[in-house]
Amino acid sequence: MSVPFSGTLRRSGGIVSAIGKQLKSINLKGVKRITVQFDPFAENVKSTREFFFLLSTPKVIQTNPKCVVKSDIVCDRQAASIKFALIDSAQEQAKVKEIRFNSGNLNTLELLELCNKHVSSLAPPEEVTNKVLTKAEKQKLGGGSKKALKKK
Amino acid sequence: MANLMQRSLPLTTTRTPVLQFLRFRGKINIQRPKEPHYERARVVAVTQPKYPELPKARSCFQTRAERTKEQLENPYNEIIAREVRNWLNHSQLVAIFHLNSITADEIFRVRVQLHKQNLHLKSYGRKIIDQAVTGTPYEAIMPLFHSNHCIVFSPNQQQIGALLKITRRVPQMVLLGGIVEKTLLSRNELMAYAQMPNLQGAQAQLVQTLNLAAGQLVQHLQTHQANLVQVLDVHAKGNGDTNTNTTETADES
Repeated sequence: MSVPFSGTLRRSGGIVSAIGKQLKSINLKGVKRITVQFDPFAENVKSTREFFFLLSTPKVIQTNPKCVVKSDIVCDRQAASIKFALIDSAQEQAKVKEIRFNSGNLNTLELLELCNKHVSSLAPPEEVTNKVLTKAEKQKLGGGSKKALKKK
Repeated sequence: MANLMQRSLPLTTTRTPVLQFLRFRGKINIQRPKEPHYERARVVAVTQPKYPELPKARSCFQTRAERTKEQLENPYNEIIAREVRNWLNHSQLVAIFHLNSITADEIFRVRVQLHKQNLHLKSYGRKIIDQAVTGTPYEAIMPLFHSNHCIVFSPNQQQIGALLKITRRVPQMVLLGGIVEKTLLSRNELMAYAQMPNLQGAQAQLVQTLNLAAGQLVQHLQTHQANLVQVLDVHAKGNGDTNTNTTETADES
């Protein structure tokens, strides 16, 4: 009797590809301000700093250009934290004004996963504007100016 | 002619051919070789080289051992570590920044602006800085290099104001801390240091503070005399005015 198959058919790409996968699904539309607070001389701020770096990448900023990412460097050995101040519609949805991650004991991948779970889900749904203009409609819109040109 | 003359026994001589054929402009064929004659093929098959295969059992754990053994360190790292130590020893001002995602164009622009103020923007890997700094008094800056960073060196600590002014315009560079005159300063302390006046200003402030007590005593002793003089002045002026008024009225009348 053969043993039934168990295990994976594909090998995982490691932590870097997991981080990349999480980054692809991040959405900051529901956030108006992010404050990253850390003490640079503390021991466990590496993941906070990396998360801060990943939030500053162009792709993430493009999801919401109005969202401001601010840093707050402290020197009194406070714990590292990341605060997301939500927009009004997201506040109603989540019933909180802001979300705070205490990132002292979290690594970068966990931070991203939590962010996707709590913050990206609060993004307001996009309004789909896929209306395709027919030739007649296009002529109507631009028809007035064209006719004027033709008369000349 | 000399080729055709027989000087030795037949079949023992080697002769170059009378006609030697030369290829001119034709392309040779190597992609579709002719199948060799059976005899020739037999000789070729027999003369193929046979290489001995390494026994896999012996090398089974060697690759893992090779992978996991200590990697040889590149001696170039030592040279760069020496350069870092040199920069640290000869700069009066060292500022360390956290660097967010930034385009090469922007960082170049910042580098140029800093260079005009004699500030040097550099970045090294954590391992090299570790090698450069362990065992020296600069060991405390190690925690700042766990993530993307850059360092600015300056031989003159007065440039802190210019440095802050330039980096304020760059949101991707976040000041973490620095070393000024061999003293490690946090971000807030660095900002406070930038607000301080220069040495002459500080000396003037010190002189003022030292003179404060004595100055107050002198002032207390002199207040009454000064008041009297002031009142007399006002009185004299008032009298003088009335005198001129009376003389003028006398003249008119």
